[in-house]
Amino acid sequence: MPSNKSKRRKNLIALSMVAPFVITFLVFFLYPTLNMLVLSFTNAPLIGAGDWVGFDNYLRLFNDRLFKTALFNNGYFILLTVVPTTVVALCIALMINRLKGRTQALVMVLFFVPYILPVSVVTQIWEWMLDFQFGVLQPLISYFVGKPVAVFKNPYWVMPVIAAITVWWTTGFNVLLFIAGLRNISKELYEAASLDGATSRQLFWRVTWPLLWPVTALVLTLQLILQLKIFDQIYLLSSGGPFNSSYVLLMQVYREAFQLNHGGYSSAIATVLFLLIGVVSVLQFQLLRLGRGR
Amino acid sequence: MIKRANRLVVGAALAALTLPAVAAQEVIWWDFLGGGDGVRMKALISEFNAEHPEIQITGTTLEWGVPFYTKVRTAAAVGAGPDIMTYHLSRAPLALEEGVLSEITDADMKDAGLAQADFFDSSIAAATTDGKLFAVPFDIHAVVLYYNKDLLTGSPYLDADGKLTGMDTLEKFEEALAWLKSEGVETPLTYQTGGAGGVWRVFYTLLSQQGGQFIVDNEVLPGDNAAKAVKAIETMTRWQTEGWGPEQADYAASVALFSSGKSAFQINGVWEVPTFNDLAASNSLGFEWSAAEIPPFMGSPATWSDSHAFAIANQGDKTISGEKRTAVMNVIGWMEKHALAWADAGHIPAYKPVAESAEYGAMEPNASYASLAKTSAFDPQTTITGVASPTYDTAINIISPAMHGYFNAEEAVEQIKQELQAMMQ
Amino acid sequence: MSMKRIENGVLGAVTFLTAAIWVFPLYWAFVTSVRSEENVVTDPGLLPGEFNFSAYIDALFNTKILTWYFNSIGTSLIVTLVVLLFSMTCAYALSQIKFPGRTALYVVVLASFMVPAQALVVTQFMLMNDLGLINTWGGIILPQLIVPVVIIVYKQFFDAVPKDLREAVVLDGGGEYTILFKVYLPLNWGITTALGIVTFIGTWNSFLWPFLVITSEDMMTIPVGITQVTDVFGVAYARLMSVALLAAMPVVVAYLIFQRRVTEAVMISSGVKG
Repeated sequence: MPSNKSKRRKNLIALSMVAPFVITFLVFFLYPTLNMLVLSFTNAPLIGAGDWVGFDNYLRLFNDRLFKTALFNNGYFILLTVVPTTVVALCIALMINRLKGRTQALVMVLFFVPYILPVSVVTQIWEWMLDFQFGVLQPLISYFVGKPVAVFKNPYWVMPVIAAITVWWTTGFNVLLFIAGLRNISKELYEAASLDGATSRQLFWRVTWPLLWPVTALVLTLQLILQLKIFDQIYLLSSGGPFNSSYVLLMQVYREAFQLNHGGYSSAIATVLFLLIGVVSVLQFQLLRLGRGR
Repeated sequence: MIKRANRLVVGAALAALTLPAVAAQEVIWWDFLGGGDGVRMKALISEFNAEHPEIQITGTTLEWGVPFYTKVRTAAAVGAGPDIMTYHLSRAPLALEEGVLSEITDADMKDAGLAQADFFDSSIAAATTDGKLFAVPFDIHAVVLYYNKDLLTGSPYLDADGKLTGMDTLEKFEEALAWLKSEGVETPLTYQTGGAGGVWRVFYTLLSQQGGQFIVDNEVLPGDNAAKAVKAIETMTRWQTEGWGPEQADYAASVALFSSGKSAFQINGVWEVPTFNDLAASNSLGFEWSAAEIPPFMGSPATWSDSHAFAIANQGDKTISGEKRTAVMNVIGWMEKHALAWADAGHIPAYKPVAESAEYGAMEPNASYASLAKTSAFDPQTTITGVASPTYDTAINIISPAMHGYFNAEEAVEQIKQELQAMMQ
Repeated sequence: MSMKRIENGVLGAVTFLTAAIWVFPLYWAFVTSVRSEENVVTDPGLLPGEFNFSAYIDALFNTKILTWYFNSIGTSLIVTLVVLLFSMTCAYALSQIKFPGRTALYVVVLASFMVPAQALVVTQFMLMNDLGLINTWGGIILPQLIVPVVIIVYKQFFDAVPKDLREAVVLDGGGEYTILFKVYLPLNWGITTALGIVTFIGTWNSFLWPFLVITSEDMMTIPVGITQVTDVFGVAYARLMSVALLAAMPVVVAYLIFQRRVTEAVMISSGVKG
């Protein structure tokens, strides 16, 4: 049966082609995921074995004030970033879309550059911009609130400011997506609508907005998942302070594991975060499909 | 015969070629020393390397405080830690609980050419638990009062020699601050009001000056110590509300306020002495300065102090031993004997032969605050105190917010007691 | 008509003003970095006033920034090349060969695209410790090799390649690898460079994982290393800003050169442009 033999050969070739990825995936992704699940039921330290404690870690989560604070702050941060960054990016994309040729390319570069900076460069620049004593933006803050504000040390300012910095940092990426979306809308549609005497406001709400919706939904999805995983900026700018007002889940995962040596408890928090992102992704995926189906 | 001799010569030549490479022992060194401290330590390290071709130190400087001690803990646990590291004695009990320090035996000390008797008793005591030594003390460092002579000129607070005078009570000090403010000095007194280290050092100094104790027999601020803590926080709060202290100053900003002439006083560690010495030497400071022991604002003289020490990381099977360990002890012994260069960074050597030498006695401005060594107030020796400890966390999470008006001093002290007591076993 | 022109003018002005505000932080970092430390805290002007590059010299020669560059370039290049190679073969098999488990594998790839690697840092760290890879390039590289989006994009593009091209090679007796490397890859060079750029930037900028897995200064990557220069002593704003700008330089310069490619890459890899 030559066809059987060639089938086996084909399967072997396919196997050799997927194996490198599959093996890396199994070893560096699936195994750590399962291990995280297992550890979340133990009291293991960071390095070494622990004892099985059943659901103790999860029960402890319910009474952990810090965990609730972190959960709340994750939600707060999403509120502060996801929709604002989408709106800002859309506005900028609409502005850029009116420009032409080299000017357009130049302006696009200006908005995109922050996105390719490493996070620690971003935080260092903004720490300096907002330095309480010498920050160049402090006169501006004084103008509006009457006195300078140590933004990363103030429980009310810290999250909105970190959110604003995040928007500054990542908007360029979303702008590009919107511009791509705008370019996909055919000119004829606008021309036809203009001939019907539509004003530019009507053009936006009747043509641009509905046709751009898939991109908008994509941006919202990507941002939501991205911002749930917030850690770097907060660790570098406020370390979760002042008095935990910017403490987030991943921060607690890090602190429990690496500072307090609680590998098991840290894994339980990580599992919750993992599930949270999983559920949000699935929900969004379904919602988007529904939206598209309509 | 000739053939054999030839072979010998060739053999010797080969040996000579390969020997240095084989024998050079690499010592991995970690510290948290920046600024003037870092410059001086790096100079010491390169001097050592130049003098000892057979031992080569490779130094790494990590960020001071929590980042450093988190890294040490993790690295030691996985056996990727340093051979030798600097360590704060204030957190020695915490370190032992974490199990990150390897015992320094008498044999080790002998390898270093040192003996416990060469050190101040208080330093050895701080580095010892259950009769075992876990670190070799290097210095004692404290906070001092830096002052800008130009801004104080023409006031009754500076004598003819340019030394601080008549500042022995809190009232007079605050009078001076009020006068400076009225003269247009933006922030008369600067310290790191927005960071754990600065807040803790000032708080602990003010508490100790009242004879207060932070922890007694595993109890946090028992009895009237709580009232003394309240008084300390109220004092720090008043400096803020009167506009004398900087709001939420980060470390760098707090130093910059003084170096740019916007503050007349600074409470900070002796380790900034070289910064101002260097600035003055390059003519970029623009004013005359000096430093003095912190006056007994709250009654009796006392100053927060801590010690840097050298320690060997406990890494289970990978803890260094044999020749490597001897090499490390060699490094420690050499550093102790060259501590005069370290004293140039403002510190008081813990090694008596250096601390009691004539050269050290003549160093300035060290001499002008040498007296504080007698009234040093070290952090309590518990597992919740010391650099990067839960107590330092409360300084930034509770005391600093209280100073900035988020809650009052009584509430702050109550919170400190609750939070820390829960962590005491 | 003139109404429209005024409107256009106003909108143009607003656009440029916004763009200027957007880059101001970078401008300010530059201005700070070319001042002397004393002038940084005393001279509040918006123009540089001087061009003092001592902070840069200090940063280049008194920090380990050159070592960090080397580590960043090395690890990012390896990650990029390996990810491209693994993803390309995997995507090709998914797209062109019928084999058992194909659908299941594709679902896994799609699902893992959503899941956060950041939640796994603790167990990945433990794994790296078991493998003895803490504080090594291997430790930095291995967990970063899983970038499912590259597979997804490759698959979309391979799906679109006309079938007759493939059959021509098969008739000549060429195997699957020949088809991939002689036909599919050359047809998709554009997408390969685009995915390469995106992967490279992502790896270059990653912070949390290298921060955890590296314990010594000599092994640090740029984004981690520069956080080590912020020591707690003295005044060093000019130095901080010069280090930050030096750290950003290579990727920014590369971006300015390959600007069009990067723009395209971002659009393609997020699926808004095919």
